Amino acid sequence: MSAPARTPAGAPGHLTGPAGGGIGTDAQRPDGTLKVRGEFAYGSDLWMEDMLWGVTLRSPHPYARIRSIDVGPALAVPGVHAVLTSDDVPGAKAYGLELADQPVLAVDVVRYQGEPVALVAADHPETARAAAARIVVDYEVWEPVTDAIAALGHPRWNAVHEDDAEVTELSRESAHLHPEGNLVRHLKVRTGDPSPTADVVVVNTYEVGMQDQAFLGPESGLAVPAEDGGVELYVATQWLHVDQRQICSALGLPPEQVRLTLAGVGGAFGGREDLSMHVHACLLALRTGRPVKMSYNREESFFGHVHRHPATMRYEHGATRDGDLVYVKAEIYFDGGAYASSTPAVVGNGGTMGIGPYVVPNVHVDCYGAYTNNPPCGAMRGFGSVQTAFAYESQMDALAAALGMDPVELRCRNAMEQGSTAITGQVIDSPAPVVELLRRLEAMPMPDAAPDDLRHMPGGVSNTTHGEGVRRGVGYAVSYKNVAFSEGFDDYSTARVRLEVVGGEPVATVHTAAAEVGQGLVTVEQQIARTELGVDRVVVHPKDTQVGSAGSTSASRQTYVTGGAVKAACEAVRGQVLARAAELTGRPVGELRLFDGAVVGEGLELPLAEVLGDDAVEETLEWRHRPTEAIDPETGQGFAHVQYAFSAHRAVVDVDTELGLVKVVEMACTQDVGKAINPQAVIGQIQGGTAQGLGLAVMEEILIRDGKVQNPSFTDYLIPTILDMPPMRIEVLEYADPHAPYGLRGVGEAPNISSGPAVLAAIRQATGLPLTRVPVRPEHLTGT
Amino acid sequence: MKPFAFARPADAAEAVATVATEPRAVFLAGGTNLVDHLKLGVARPDLVVDVRRLTSREITDTADGGLRIGAAVTNSELAADRRVRERYPVLAQALLAGATGQLRNLATTGGNPLQRTRCVYFQDVSTPCNKREPGSGCSAVGGYTRYHAILGTSAALPDPTAPETCIATHPSDMAVALAVLDAQVQVLGPAGARTIPFAELHRLPGDDPSRDTVLEHGELITAIDLPPLPAGARSAYRKVRDRASYAFALVSVAAVVADGEVRLALGGVAHKPWRASRAEEALRGGPVADDAVRHAMDVELTTAQPQPGVDGGNGFKIPLVTRTVVATVRDLTQETQA
Repeated sequence: MSAPARTPAGAPGHLTGPAGGGIGTDAQRPDGTLKVRGEFAYGSDLWMEDMLWGVTLRSPHPYARIRSIDVGPALAVPGVHAVLTSDDVPGAKAYGLELADQPVLAVDVVRYQGEPVALVAADHPETARAAAARIVVDYEVWEPVTDAIAALGHPRWNAVHEDDAEVTELSRESAHLHPEGNLVRHLKVRTGDPSPTADVVVVNTYEVGMQDQAFLGPESGLAVPAEDGGVELYVATQWLHVDQRQICSALGLPPEQVRLTLAGVGGAFGGREDLSMHVHACLLALRTGRPVKMSYNREESFFGHVHRHPATMRYEHGATRDGDLVYVKAEIYFDGGAYASSTPAVVGNGGTMGIGPYVVPNVHVDCYGAYTNNPPCGAMRGFGSVQTAFAYESQMDALAAALGMDPVELRCRNAMEQGSTAITGQVIDSPAPVVELLRRLEAMPMPDAAPDDLRHMPGGVSNTTHGEGVRRGVGYAVSYKNVAFSEGFDDYSTARVRLEVVGGEPVATVHTAAAEVGQGLVTVEQQIARTELGVDRVVVHPKDTQVGSAGSTSASRQTYVTGGAVKAACEAVRGQVLARAAELTGRPVGELRLFDGAVVGEGLELPLAEVLGDDAVEETLEWRHRPTEAIDPETGQGFAHVQYAFSAHRAVVDVDTELGLVKVVEMACTQDVGKAINPQAVIGQIQGGTAQGLGLAVMEEILIRDGKVQNPSFTDYLIPTILDMPPMRIEVLEYADPHAPYGLRGVGEAPNISSGPAVLAAIRQATGLPLTRVPVRPEHLTGT
Repeated sequence: MKPFAFARPADAAEAVATVATEPRAVFLAGGTNLVDHLKLGVARPDLVVDVRRLTSREITDTADGGLRIGAAVTNSELAADRRVRERYPVLAQALLAGATGQLRNLATTGGNPLQRTRCVYFQDVSTPCNKREPGSGCSAVGGYTRYHAILGTSAALPDPTAPETCIATHPSDMAVALAVLDAQVQVLGPAGARTIPFAELHRLPGDDPSRDTVLEHGELITAIDLPPLPAGARSAYRKVRDRASYAFALVSVAAVVADGEVRLALGGVAHKPWRASRAEEALRGGPVADDAVRHAMDVELTTAQPQPGVDGGNGFKIPLVTRTVVATVRDLTQETQA
């Protein structure tokens, strides 16, 4: 049918990178030079001379029935090669990460503004856009369901989904989608006395707005039809194999005919866990027999990926007069929007992490995820925990105030430690240095009292504040997040490692499908291979589906799980090489090791070239972390999580109380990472996570009116700039987790969770205002 | 993007004649706003006429002690000019509070005051907007209004379906400074040259929100003149925004204090740079203490009409702009007394 698959320009190559640097060193990134020189190819750089451009027609309405679609006028536009609707989807019409409830292209009903309705492929993107605009869709517009709590209160009347969603094998846990209701998941945690009483009680309701991942590289991909009737897809994504399974299902093709390669990813933060144009580009390529590129612009990107769930949370904390927590009751509502995406897992995290890293004997948590006609919400860095941390840490401050206690003192008094029992009944079986994290923060020097430079005052370079009405505040917060996939999910990664001698020099090649999204996993893969195989040169193979699944680049899990797989594969390769060397030298294997490109033993240094000759030793292994288990649906008890990450922040802010402007003067962070595989990358994760948390605290929010996004641009959706992000003091602790490779702990999410609540606490201290909603904006601080 | 023809005339007169004869022609200067609008489909011209090399890129002293700024002078050049920094700090500060370094390197003196509103609904071609498509209605009413007007809107309680409704603001920082400086705009048009006081360049929405300025089709700004300020005058620009940089004003204030006289212009509050004449009048001849300034702003804002909106509306701008004015004037007064 078509020309044989060829490699597009902009497809990833092998990363050969700088030589040297095992684990624990600041090894340089193999993609770093390319990126800073502007030579790294991102998904939007993919190109083939004969490619067509695909565009998506999206619903302007958040909720409507499609009476009819007339594609005729679009097909009549010269240069148009195909126009597709749901009728053209050959396989399953719906897909989803956990529940297959999201149509590839709308079937009869649209449930959110921006839902894909039709596709056009044309020889020029402008032609495709113009043609898409000529598709006539007759909508019967319905009243959207826009409030998560109301949606649950009236399940029949508001039913957004009329049919059962199929629970796929992709489900991370046994979440139920109620057949005719808007409940995606209800998680319950019940421990201790169901009717506890306490000397001091604080009750508050909190809200967290909808945050966007705001990655800089919009969704992009290129599908190339193959000779075997299959398709090659180059795409910027987070988990190639979960994409592949969903694409296969929609196309009705077996996995061997749907081959994916990771294109350059410009940030992800969870926003690329769900499919965007993956199936669309493949459908168009298979229909036209031509390569098809799809690349969203910034506005479309806001409609092309899920966002962080907005949350409404009511918390009740009871404590003794001495400050011992007696009970916590929490009701947590996550607005999941139109489709399930990761909502079940977000509810899982939000509920089981919902009271923070504290020991509480009596706990009653109800955590709900609801369908509405708002934009679908799903994975974003720290998911589930970011929202609840604002609530539980605000509660700890409110309780401290009610008790007349120092907020850090109250936290330390109730903090969990190794051996404590979490609210799931799990015993924390690795270090949990919550108290030390807080005490170290307290001990850090404070920034100078008053800035002498206008640029360092609230409003910064805008010449806004000249010091009048400026008050300083200090706030603390702690985070607590499960690392890797939980609740019984079979969480594994696959690594293929080859060792050979090329041009007289030993070279290891690491091949995994683990998505590098900017975090530096490719560097970690090289470091582990260098350490385990004693070689300097490690090549990172392009990420693709020619090797087994690595699982998702999310949940702070890749260094742990893919790192574990690479380590295991290296160990297997090393075993083979040493066995050969033992045979050659007559020494027992136990006396031999790999070092500096040679097999060494006492009085022995045998270059690898002499051991391997022209042979390559290759091993492919699947590696799993300890199994977790599903929690009891009535009590929330069970071994749900394999590992926890802990971080703490101290925020110092200056607030211009007249103009409502916040200047975050300094952020300090302490985090236990178990083992810093690449210390510089750890610092980068802490700084980036801190900035993203600060953004949610003071500026980032997707505003919705009647189900419609009001600010889908970087002009109106603000993220922090370098002028908003202060210098940081960071202390990294390395208390090994005995269950994890090298003792490491996932790093990426924890600092994103504690930073925002610390900023909020500091603003609260500076202003004396209750501040129960984030983001906090100027008008919330001016007392007007 | 809709296809268009491109012309690069030899001089300003030819450019004016070219645009004047083609109803769907536009001038291109720095392009920092127009090119975005071409991509978004907000601007759909048939002909784009490049004037980047046709007007002066010089800043010259005028006989009365002021400055003439050529229309092609970039925002960066203007903000860096020693005479501007010394004599008109309000203008230099306003320029530097706007946009990014990259944009200021391209944006021009003639183009900046003519940039269009950043109202999200104006830029979103899928929503009704009276400014973009006259008569289609206004999507901003009750919507995302934190960057919208509280003064000079087309109706006291705007009707989103009425053809005259518009609550957009003018986004330029530079224009607020030019308004307080009583700048004069030199214009070349099909009927010849004319001079427009800057305060009269921009319009309120009135019954035709699609027109931002009084310029006729084909009229080209060739220069902007700054009259001299009185000896000892002090001036400043303050901008309040949602983050430290790269954001439009929630409110902004350009102020000049000279010989006990106070001049005020406000940004982020109206369809045009808002000269606060009522407040100026209320302060004339009296003491310029905080209370007096606050009272003057109360007078200025008696007609203010806060807009409801998805995130609580924009009523916060009333106290915010008052407090910003009070602080700005206090600083300038203390400077002059020091």
